[in-house]
Amino acid sequence: MDTEQQSQQTQTGSEFEREPVPKSALLGFKSFIGMYAGEHCAGTELMIGPLFVAAGVSAFDLVMGLVVGNALAVFSWMFLCAPIATRRRLTLYYQLEKICGRKLVSLYNIANGVMFCFLAGAMVTVSATAVGVWFKFKMPGLNDLYPNSIGWVAAVAVVGGLIAIVAAYGYKTVAKFANIAAPWMVLVFLAFGFVGLRQFINATGAEVKSLGDFWTLANTHIWKGGAPQEGQVKFTIWHVMFFAWFCNMAMHVGMSDLSVFRFARKSWYAIASSAGMYVGHFMAWISASILYAYQLHLNPADTDVLPGPLAYRAAGLVGLLCVIIAGWTTANPTIYRAGLAFQALSPKSSRFKVTLITGAIATIAGMFPAIAMKLLDFVAIYGMILMPMGAVIFVDFWLLPKLGLRASYAELSGSSFNWAAGVAWILTLAVCLGAVFSIGRWSLWFASLPGWFVAALLYIVLSKIYQKKLRPVAAEYKEN
Amino acid sequence: MRSILQIISLLALIALTLPSVIFLAGKLELDRVKWIMLLATIVWFVAAAGWMWKDNGAGQQDAG
Repeated sequence: MDTEQQSQQTQTGSEFEREPVPKSALLGFKSFIGMYAGEHCAGTELMIGPLFVAAGVSAFDLVMGLVVGNALAVFSWMFLCAPIATRRRLTLYYQLEKICGRKLVSLYNIANGVMFCFLAGAMVTVSATAVGVWFKFKMPGLNDLYPNSIGWVAAVAVVGGLIAIVAAYGYKTVAKFANIAAPWMVLVFLAFGFVGLRQFINATGAEVKSLGDFWTLANTHIWKGGAPQEGQVKFTIWHVMFFAWFCNMAMHVGMSDLSVFRFARKSWYAIASSAGMYVGHFMAWISASILYAYQLHLNPADTDVLPGPLAYRAAGLVGLLCVIIAGWTTANPTIYRAGLAFQALSPKSSRFKVTLITGAIATIAGMFPAIAMKLLDFVAIYGMILMPMGAVIFVDFWLLPKLGLRASYAELSGSSFNWAAGVAWILTLAVCLGAVFSIGRWSLWFASLPGWFVAALLYIVLSKIYQKKLRPVAAEYKEN
Repeated sequence: MRSILQIISLLALIALTLPSVIFLAGKLELDRVKWIMLLATIVWFVAAAGWMWKDNGAGQQDAG
């Protein structure tokens, strides 16, 4: 999943922050393939795969759900995000500032920064589970919400503290290391899958000589379907599909990746995101889920989702290294990015101090296993919170001029807070969360789809009212 | 030197993956798989750092 993309955004965000990317700085198709393939194989994949199994997913539902859901994610990048990115060639933040005004963008930054902190916390949690294999302290269980041992708190404090210090001192060095680790990490994930499969064959005594035999093993022993683990929502093909589609919702539908694709020569380059989806969100999730299914096969009472022990059982020291590096290299840019979001609120504050404080918040969040253990829920909420602003950008770019309204209205009117966008954002969130609370937790993974249309409609209606009340002050109005 | 390091890196990645494939085929012990993977990991990070570290800087500039 992933915020690991934020590293790219941080890199891309360092240039042309308040101007369109010039032709001379555009990148070729290959750059995007490498970027997405590496960036979507993160520490959190080691949680998500097992959580699918804990949610009682069946083999067909998992495979088909991921095939279709990932395709929908790629289409969202291709047809929602990239066309605007390659036409405007602006960062998400500058584009939003033109539409929403500086104060509303600051509010968006806070929301984004807080979500990054929690996500980084989940990544620290993942890395800390590897430490537990060495020091044998009590680690959190699937339904634990609070820290359950001093050893666990100490491990997270050390791992999170180190990550925060490194992010503050040497973000770029870790980013370089992450690029070197990426191909290695992808192949270790693949090895997890192969090893897990053989372990299943050995443990069940199954004869696997054809694809049909493998499918039978998958259905009867690995992804058996049935009831979910206690405290988990039952995942059907629809849940898997929507989860795969929306787990990066902030990036495609939410338009965060405008900052990435503004460098693309053509909008179809966004098809490169399929490299990330089918490596990280297909192969890696399936591999990680096999490891957890094998743990359940050995001992159905052992429901703990702990990437460290899972990886150690499959690949020994390399598995542990993979868990630590995957968590570290993805938490690093996430903490750094969260720091940037917070620093935007107070530009004079020291980047070093802000990153350290952000890292400390992420570390404290990481001590609470609730975020990692409820990662499927958290990721859905994360996308839901940032999605309405994606709808606002989409409507502002494509629809407002056709409806006789003006795009980038905050810039035109000199307003620092576009109420039409702000109310559309908050009201959409209220509608989505209200729907989830009244319908049930299972609807969390679906609410963002109608939510996008609610946000779009609200922004159009509210803009009609808002643009009548507040007249533009700009001397010239340029059509999009 | 750079091409040699690239070839070594590629071999390291093959050595990282191949044992798990052979294990899947039932022709290698898991302990041996783990050791070979560890060795391949060390070789990968040493060799890849030799040529990717510099490229990385340029790559980031490009991305940026």
